[in-house]
Amino acid sequence: MSLDNIQSQLAEIVNSGDPTFANFATQINQIVEQAKSGQMSNAEVAEILRDAQSQLVILEEMSDLALKEKLNVAINALIMIASVV
Amino acid sequence: MKRLLAIALVLSLNGCALWEAYNLAHFDPNEYRIVTEIRTDASLYKDQCPDAVVSKANAQAIYLKTQLFENYSEQIPYNSNSIKASKELNNIAKGLKERYAGKDPVSPMFCKLKFESIEHSAQTMQHVLGNRPR
Repeated sequence: MSLDNIQSQLAEIVNSGDPTFANFATQINQIVEQAKSGQMSNAEVAEILRDAQSQLVILEEMSDLALKEKLNVAINALIMIASVV
Repeated sequence: MKRLLAIALVLSLNGCALWEAYNLAHFDPNEYRIVTEIRTDASLYKDQCPDAVVSKANAQAIYLKTQLFENYSEQIPYNSNSIKASKELNNIAKGLKERYAGKDPVSPMFCKLKFESIEHSAQTMQHVLGNRPR
């Protein structure tokens, strides 16, 4: 897959309507632009893209944790209701 | 009636998710402080990337903090999401430190993008960790 193909796929994600992944795709696109400009070695570009995978894992874990936080609030509210009634 | 409704709602949730959410680790000011420091340091260090000597020291300094964050998080019970995220954050910082320790020169752009990755990730974590139940 060429860099141009990758960038067109990223553009689709940018326009997907999901703000989190749109921001993320914009970041990746900037990395691809830097790679094209030759300001980094190939090894450095590869490592930055591996970091992008790590960032995705962090996003996923934090998104899961945010849901658990909301669930925690709801459960405690339900316990309060159940114990008062 | 309200009691029945509350019990029915609780029972309708997935058992494992319910247990994890109920026991979720509470807000920890130390954990929050460390991730805030990582974010702040990375945001300042990224502007110093044209200076390779300073950046090498900065890379070492941020790695010490991400390692501290990983070690701190890993012994907190019911904290699996934060543990996994802190390991990933530490890996990002470790890569920068190791590249400065190597023979090949490190490009200022690579240094800047690394610190930006650390900054953005720490900011994402800070937002969620700050919303933990009190």
